[in-house]
Amino acid sequence: MPEKLANVIVKFYDEYMQSTPKKLKIIDAYLVYVLITGIVQFAYCCLVGTFPFNSFLSGFISTVGSFILAVCLRLQSNPQNKLEFSGISPERSFADFIFAHVILHLVVINFIG
Amino acid sequence: MSFSIPQYDNRLRSILTSINMAKVLSVVGLLAIAVVGQALTPSSFLTTVDQNRLKSVFEAASPYADTQAAHYSILGLKLLGATIPNAQDACKVISKVLDGSNVASIYYGATAAKALGNCKVEVPEFKKTLTDAIKEDSSVQDIVFAYLALKSLGLPADDSAVSKAILAALNTDDSPSSHSYAFLAATELSGDISKFVDNIEDVVAQADEVDDKYLQFEGGLFATALVVDSAYKLAEKNKKAPTIAQDKVLKFANYFLSRKHVHQLKSAYQFLSVIKTLTTNKFHVPVAVTLASPVAVTQADPSVKVQVTDLLGGNLGEMTVTADSARHLEDGAVVLSKKQFTLSASEKSLFELNFLEAKPAKGFYKLTISVVPKKADAKLIGTTGAEVEVKVTTKVAIENVEIGVADKDQATAARTTRLVHPNKAATVIEADYHQKIVMKFQLKDKTSGTLMTAHQAFVRLTNLETKQEIIFVTESDNSLTSKFDLDVGSSAKEFGSVSGKYSMELIVGDAVIENPFSWLIADISITFPEASEAPANTTNQYAKKPEIKHKFNEPEKRPPATVSLAFTALVLLPLLILLVLWLRIGVNVSNFPISLSAVGFHVCLGAIFGLYYCYWTHLNMFQTLRWLGIIAVPTFFFGNRLLSALASKSQLPKKKK
Repeated sequence: MPEKLANVIVKFYDEYMQSTPKKLKIIDAYLVYVLITGIVQFAYCCLVGTFPFNSFLSGFISTVGSFILAVCLRLQSNPQNKLEFSGISPERSFADFIFAHVILHLVVINFIG
Repeated sequence: MSFSIPQYDNRLRSILTSINMAKVLSVVGLLAIAVVGQALTPSSFLTTVDQNRLKSVFEAASPYADTQAAHYSILGLKLLGATIPNAQDACKVISKVLDGSNVASIYYGATAAKALGNCKVEVPEFKKTLTDAIKEDSSVQDIVFAYLALKSLGLPADDSAVSKAILAALNTDDSPSSHSYAFLAATELSGDISKFVDNIEDVVAQADEVDDKYLQFEGGLFATALVVDSAYKLAEKNKKAPTIAQDKVLKFANYFLSRKHVHQLKSAYQFLSVIKTLTTNKFHVPVAVTLASPVAVTQADPSVKVQVTDLLGGNLGEMTVTADSARHLEDGAVVLSKKQFTLSASEKSLFELNFLEAKPAKGFYKLTISVVPKKADAKLIGTTGAEVEVKVTTKVAIENVEIGVADKDQATAARTTRLVHPNKAATVIEADYHQKIVMKFQLKDKTSGTLMTAHQAFVRLTNLETKQEIIFVTESDNSLTSKFDLDVGSSAKEFGSVSGKYSMELIVGDAVIENPFSWLIADISITFPEASEAPANTTNQYAKKPEIKHKFNEPEKRPPATVSLAFTALVLLPLLILLVLWLRIGVNVSNFPISLSAVGFHVCLGAIFGLYYCYWTHLNMFQTLRWLGIIAVPTFFFGNRLLSALASKSQLPKKKK
């Protein structure tokens, strides 16, 4: 059973490495980065305490928001989803991503205190 | 603390009885209205002391500031039969302060001068001022003053014109005081005055009743006195009794007498004038029945004395004075009926009755008295139902006094000592906190020989050293035995746990007890348990309290710097992972398009995040938004150009960053 699971994972990894466009891999790496940052923040909050609470909150919102935006970017720029986002070019979605980030971080900074 | 018992006692007692009386009175009042009408007979009159006080009010007005003051002062003194000091000076003053263009001033001056006699005030413009005032659109007061001034100056006046002017002016102002001025004028007018006489009834009907006992007009003593006075003067001229009911006259009289301490000059004069009128007129003369003996009726002084006079204290001739009844205020028992007073040997209007012959029990009584003149006199009113209140007091003896010490938890009979008033116990009584001090006594009414209770019966314990006093109330049971129990242990607090020798006094008093006493019974020695706490915190409760200082919210405890730094590193670590991953994936940075738009876009984007950093550190929201607006324009412009350029060559492998 574990072998099979390992097989599945290895196969899944190979498949991913071969068939996924490089652009998406970059986004995935970014997602992993944001995810780990968020986990570290949360761990700090659990272990040490929430003070100062607004700083924690804005930091966490920043990671969660960035993650969601990145997921959206990935969805829109995935060639497989081209049919669903026919009117939206990858460049357009990247511009949206940048714009949303600017707004998100304005709020985050405002909240950080 | 020391207090005189009878005084203290009377105060309390009078409060209690006034509560009781209020109840009784309302019941009695209802009955009385149904049977004989309420007791309205005045219960006081204008004594010599009152008259002297009024005299000083009139004398104080000199030197006169104006003719009005002169008028009231001189006429008031004349009514009292006093001489006017320095009559000639007064006459000169009147001439000086008289204002020839003012009707009222002339009236007051002229009448005052006339009252002085041998005094002439004459100014040429008088006549014109006065005759001009007599017209229909003047006020009633001005017309009347002008008319009366003309009369007292001996100048001719047209009576019918005056009468017409007054009646017309009354149509616009029909207040009671206007009417009363009209009555005053009518007493001097010749011709038909029936119109004025008819008005008396209407005016009197406008008086307000207070407490079913007083009648008064709006405007107080002066207005009320003026109306009644002028109405009787007019009736005198008309030779017919004024249409004022007898009970109303009595209510007016009661109102006047309730205000006999008046200090205002014009009210004082009018008050005196109306009292005089009410004693001298031919129609209604109220009788005043006044209690002339002390309220307390004692064995030593067993008679109730009443004075039957007119309102000025004048003798009304021979009278038969009868006490119709005497009712005990608490239980309503009637102790005597139809008992005649005897005429006092010393004074003509003084009548006495030996009240104790009826063997009344102690307490408060209300005597209802009626007066019948020997020679029937219809003008005397208020001859029945006069009420005076007296109290019958008694001497009290204290008997069966026992004092002893008993165990607190066992009901064993206490060792008691019998005591006899006023001796002090021979031995010191000792008690500790396991015991209690018990005292019993009985009070006996010496007159009737029955047991009684007193309103006040206290035990006072005084510490012989500190002189601190603690007072307890004794309780009486159904068998009229008073008891005092002192549980030493549980009353430690009252004593402040101060053990030692105390003197014990019994204080007995009551409004109906003639011989209240304070009896030093015994010395007692009390032992309290060791004071567990300092004797009641006696530190000054008004002492300065600690100052209140503002306290800022204390910052929460922060984690140690090492932990924070470690986590900062931990947060930055994923960035490293990101870079590693990207390198492994093979990010192609060399494909970065070297164009103005690409560089500009990235610079602008960097500027935006730099701005955010500044916002975090020192800028405020408005500054930030302004800067953001400025940077956003080139960012948008460059971004748009860059991305459309990228899109147009999308057939090429897409690379970013």
